[in-house]
Amino acid sequence: MRITEEEIRKITLNAIAELGDRANPGIVKEVVSKTVANLESSTSIPDVISDSGKVILTSFGLNHPGIVAGITSALSETKCDIKDISQKIMSEFYTMIMILDITSSPKSLKEIQEKLNNVAAELHVKVYLQHEDLFRSMHRI
Amino acid sequence: MQYEFEEILETIKMTEIEHFDIRTVTLGISLRDCFDRNIEVTKQKIYEKILKYGKNHVKYAEEVEAQYGVSIANKRVSITPAAIPFDALKADEFVEVAKVLDKAAAEIGIDFLAGYSALVQKGFTNGDRELIKSIPYALAETKRVCSSVNVASTNAGINMDAINMMAQVIKDTAEKTKDDGSIGCAKLVVYCNVPEDNPFVAGAFHGISEPEVVLNVGISGPGVVFEAIKAAGNVDLQQLAEVIKKTTFKITRAGELMGRMVAKKHGIPFGIVDVSLAPTPAEGDSIADILMAMGLADVGAPGTTAALAMLNDNVKKGGLMASTSVGGMSGAFIPVSEDQGMIRAVENGNLCIERLEAMTAVCSVGLDMIAVPGDISVSTIAGIIADECAIGFINNKTTAVRMIPVYGKTVGESVDYGGLLGKAPIMSVRDIGSSVFVGRGGRIPAPTRSLTN
Repeated sequence: MRITEEEIRKITLNAIAELGDRANPGIVKEVVSKTVANLESSTSIPDVISDSGKVILTSFGLNHPGIVAGITSALSETKCDIKDISQKIMSEFYTMIMILDITSSPKSLKEIQEKLNNVAAELHVKVYLQHEDLFRSMHRI
Repeated sequence: MQYEFEEILETIKMTEIEHFDIRTVTLGISLRDCFDRNIEVTKQKIYEKILKYGKNHVKYAEEVEAQYGVSIANKRVSITPAAIPFDALKADEFVEVAKVLDKAAAEIGIDFLAGYSALVQKGFTNGDRELIKSIPYALAETKRVCSSVNVASTNAGINMDAINMMAQVIKDTAEKTKDDGSIGCAKLVVYCNVPEDNPFVAGAFHGISEPEVVLNVGISGPGVVFEAIKAAGNVDLQQLAEVIKKTTFKITRAGELMGRMVAKKHGIPFGIVDVSLAPTPAEGDSIADILMAMGLADVGAPGTTAALAMLNDNVKKGGLMASTSVGGMSGAFIPVSEDQGMIRAVENGNLCIERLEAMTAVCSVGLDMIAVPGDISVSTIAGIIADECAIGFINNKTTAVRMIPVYGKTVGESVDYGGLLGKAPIMSVRDIGSSVFVGRGGRIPAPTRSLTN
C-alpha cells in the first residue's frame, strides 16, 4: 500500500493526539496500525448493488427446437428466478424477452452473462442480459 | 409485462445496430495541491494523485458496460489546467510534467488525458506563457496528453496576442510531429468560451471551480438519431423535431444512468451529462448522414446551416428534459475527419471551410479536425481562429479550432490517422492575407453582450 503525504500527516496528527507525553514504541506501533487500518477502510470503494436485482434477458434469432429449454436450463442452474416471459414468432424468426430476478443467484451478473453467451453460441442465437434500470431510465419518465 | 416488447427491442436495436454508445466517461481530477518547489516532488505528486483516483477507472467503466449492455467507447481523465497549479514552472519543466502525465495515463490504461491547458482570454501569467511555449514539445514527446488554450470569451473579449501565439504553436506542433501526419495538432484545441466541465477530449479539462474529483459523461448516438429520422419518413419539420427530441431523451437518460453508476463505483460525485451527438468514423455514425436524412442532397447544400441548427437545438431540448445535470458542450459535433459523411462532402467538393464556419455558429464547438495545407501561413491560421472566436464571443457560445496544417501535404491529398481520429482530406484555405489585422495584437474588447447586469 502506498501512503500519500496527506495520509502521513493524518497518521502523525492522530498519533500526537493519542499519545501526548506518554509515548513508547509499543503504543506508537499500536496507534499507527490502528490509523492505517482506518485509512484503508475509509478509502475503500462502496460496493454497488442496485436497488432491484432485476435483469432483462432478450434473445432472438432463427427459430428452432430447444432454444427456450437451453436458455431456461442455464437460468435454472444459476438459480435465476424468471419473473415474466414473453415470446413472438415472425415467420422463421423468434424473439423472446424475460424479466429475471438474480438476487437469489450465487453468481454475479457477469458470470450469468458468460454462461448464457456460451449457451447462445451453442444454439446459434443472440442472448443479451441487461440490468432493468437501463430500460426504466430510457422508457419511463 | 412491465415493459413493452417494442421498448425492449428498441433499446437492443440502438445498442446492437445503431452504434449507440456512451462516448466517454471522463474522470476529472484536481491537481491544485500537486505543486512543490522541487520539480521531482511535483511530478511524484501528480503521478500518485492520478493513480490514486484513476487506477480503477477503466475497470469500473467496463463493469458498468457489462451491467447495462451499452458500450462506453472512451475512458479518459481530465486535470486542472496545468498552467494554474504549476504557474512557477519553466517551459522545459512543463514538458517534464507532460511526460509524467503521459506515464500516469499509460499506467491506468487510458488512451488520452486532457488538461495541458491555459486560460488566457484576458492576459497571460508567466506560467501561461511558459506552458504555451512548451506545447509543441509536450505534444511531440508524449502520446496521450491533450492540450487546449482558451483565447477568448464573451466577458473578456478576444486576446489577439494569444491567438497569434497559438497559430505559431499549431504550426510548430505540425512540424514537430510531421512523421505522424502532424498528429500533434489533433491533440490541441484553441477555444473561445471554453466550458469547464466538458468531458470530451482533446478539449477537456477539470475546471477551477470543480470539486476535488468528479465524473462527467459524454453521450453519443448520431446513428440512433439517423435511424429515427429515417423511420419517421415524410413528416413536417415540427414532427421531425419531436422525433429528434424523443430519441435524444432516451440516449441521455441511458448516459446519465451509466455515468452515475461509474461515479458510484468510484465513490465520487457525478458531474454532468454532455448531451452531444459525437460522430465516429464508423459507417452510420455520422452527423452528415443525419443532415442528409433530413433532406439535404449533401452537407454544404443551401439549407445545411438551418438543418444543423434545428438538429442541435432539439438535441438540447430532449437532453434537458432527460437530465438535470446537463453541461459541457452539449450540441452536435461536426469534426471532419471523424465523420464519414463529412469526409465524403469535402471530397465531393461540396463542403468548404467557410460553410463549416457558418455551421459552427449554430452547433457546438467549431472548426474541428480540419486538415489544411502544411504551407499555410501563421497569420492565416490566426485569422481563422479569430473568426471562430468572433462567432463564439458575440453569440455567447463555445467555439473552437482544432486545425491540422499537415506538414508537406497539400489540397487533394489526405492524412489517415486510423481509429477514432479518422481520415482527413486536406481542405483548401483562402490564403488572402490578414497579417496586418491579426498582427496589430492586443485584445478585441468584450462585446455589449457581456454587459448583462
